[in-house]
Amino acid sequence: MNVAELAKILDAKVLNPEADTAKEVKSGYVCDLLSWVMAKGAPGTAWITVMNHMNVIAVATLLDMACVILPENIDIGEETLSRATEEDIPVLCSGKTSYELAGLLFAQGIPNPVK
Amino acid sequence: MRELSLHVLDLAQNSLTANASRLDILIAVDHKADTLSITLRDDGKGMAPEFLKNVTSPFTTTRTTRKVGLGIPMFKVNAELTGGSFDIESKVGVGTRMTAVFILSSIDRPPLGDMPATMVSLIVSNPKFHFHLEYTVDDQEPFAFDTEEIQAVLGPVPLDAPEVVSWIEGYIREGMDALHGGA
Repeated sequence: MNVAELAKILDAKVLNPEADTAKEVKSGYVCDLLSWVMAKGAPGTAWITVMNHMNVIAVATLLDMACVILPENIDIGEETLSRATEEDIPVLCSGKTSYELAGLLFAQGIPNPVK
Repeated sequence: MRELSLHVLDLAQNSLTANASRLDILIAVDHKADTLSITLRDDGKGMAPEFLKNVTSPFTTTRTTRKVGLGIPMFKVNAELTGGSFDIESKVGVGTRMTAVFILSSIDRPPLGDMPATMVSLIVSNPKFHFHLEYTVDDQEPFAFDTEEIQAVLGPVPLDAPEVVSWIEGYIREGMDALHGGA
């Protein structure tokens, strides 16, 4: 499944459609502690987090993630979003909670990240 | 980071990479001001103003292996998440000083963590480096630990000798516990 297809399933909006939404989603993860995610995430991970600052984009870039998903309609600043676009990290935003989003990813058979 | 001591462990690496000969780690708990502040001060090569200006951005790094550096950015954001603040100053050829102030009672403040174990890890990997730790709680006499002072007493015995390491850990733990910082 790619990021664009995932966005549809999650009823999420891609905030920066300029980024590559054809990227394959290989795994899913939910966590708000960035250092923890650095240790656990992997290339192709779709990462759900309530954090919306620049460091999130840095972690996603570092791990070559598929996308970042913001729950509960959490907004992201202009500067952070444009950096995400520059780094080719799609940022999705949904009205659902992290819990609901993770449930949907899980139901699609998307596994945990494998290091 | 889940514990503030892990930030110290991580950021000390910056000082070592910057060819510092001494790193001061100053931790102060102030219950009246409701703050826990951590200051790291080194005499490394320092940063040029242009680099310093962007150093809290995760996309600024001296690394050549990858383009992202999260040590300072995570420290800053963690302090700010508690309602605290962060500031840094640096001068080329003189060194760097950074201070993160955490709001002590904030529910988002990570615990200080295991500072004695952190100091031991630093010393074991860099037994010849000059580390200076100071822990202050309110108006009490600060607890200080200084590797150069200890080395002077030890003479030829290296700081990373197993019995010295275990003594150091116990000494720091006892010294910090005696102040009852509650952090």
